[in-house]
Amino acid sequence: MSFALSTRQVTFGRPAHAAQQQPYQQGQPQPYPQSQQPQPSNGLALPFPSNPYLPGPTGLALPGPAPVYSSQPQPTTAQPAQSQQQQQQSQTQSQSPTVTGATQASATGPASPPSTIPATPAPLTLEQQHITAVEGIVPTLQNIVATVNLDCRLDLKTIALHARNAEYNPKRFAAVIMRIRDPKTTALIFASGKMVVTGAKSEDDSRLASRKYARIVQKLGFDAKFSEFKIQNIVGSCDVKFPIRLEGLAYSHGQFSSYEPELFPGLIYRMIKPKVVLLIFVSGKIVLTGAKVREEIYTAFNTIYTVLVEFRKP
Amino acid sequence: MALTDSLDELITSGAITPQLAMKVLQQFDKSLADIMVKQVKTKTTLKGHLHTYRLCDDVWTFIVKNPTFKMESNELVSAPKIKIVACKNGDAIEAGKK
Repeated sequence: MSFALSTRQVTFGRPAHAAQQQPYQQGQPQPYPQSQQPQPSNGLALPFPSNPYLPGPTGLALPGPAPVYSSQPQPTTAQPAQSQQQQQQSQTQSQSPTVTGATQASATGPASPPSTIPATPAPLTLEQQHITAVEGIVPTLQNIVATVNLDCRLDLKTIALHARNAEYNPKRFAAVIMRIRDPKTTALIFASGKMVVTGAKSEDDSRLASRKYARIVQKLGFDAKFSEFKIQNIVGSCDVKFPIRLEGLAYSHGQFSSYEPELFPGLIYRMIKPKVVLLIFVSGKIVLTGAKVREEIYTAFNTIYTVLVEFRKP
Repeated sequence: MALTDSLDELITSGAITPQLAMKVLQQFDKSLADIMVKQVKTKTTLKGHLHTYRLCDDVWTFIVKNPTFKMESNELVSAPKIKIVACKNGDAIEAGKK
């Protein structure tokens, strides 16, 4: 059978990753490692110190090819912390006969473990993430496009013949179109060794998917590296749940707006800072695109929300 | 599959030359395509989980898991796994293998 190479096989690499990550994460037992993260070199004058939206150290903020973080290793890393807790509890309990004050602490111990070491990093509240969620609305990310340079010439026909879920029609498009199911993404692989990965819903997924594609290409016998991973575009969407007077908005924000209902029913709003394009619809549904980092989507939404409230349909 | 197996056997036993075997395979593909286009008129619909797909050299290959075929006579046929090879209509070679 010529189908020896599969996406399934590539997932075998995951447990190995997890095993590598474990000691690494154990070495950093801080519950909120975000505060110690180096600043991402995105060159954007954002008021946020780093990428605080992602639990644990992100692959994004780390320089170089950092290990990919999937959601899988988290439960395994949680366990050492829990065992630590249990140790502490047993210590307090063993001390309790001698120290009278500690009996109360040990009695409540099992029900409410010491809050100093949470088992897993608690999900950050919106304030902690610097998102001032207006009316509790936070845009959801819909698509992330990233590019990777595999840094080696590729024979696309070999890839198309041996990889699964690949399409190659050189008459129509000069790249192999390949898909994987987890994370559900599509990659365009070019003969130059450059690759575009689309469809991921988060930065981590995008990076994980890109690594999986690189691995597939590697398994086909190419000397593929994983370099120059860069997120090129982030798309988000949300619903403000009230109708909007687009004409009024187009009139008073003429500098940024383009509203041609005969061509397209939405208003196209080109925000300068952050540089994000928004599609605003009468229904109150908003699409935000053109961002390079997640924060730009959030700040753009917060900025536009105050404007939209002014143009709420009576 | 059965044809290639028996051809292999014939080659190893020295009954035919590999060149002849190749010729037989080519003729098989050609005839099959001809028959598929000209004589097979029955239709069927199938439903299943598309496990793998591939497009290379204008040939689509699909591996479908747990397909159920619904024939024209309303009878159902199922299989754990099938491979569908489909070619362009013009110089078509079309084959379904279980």
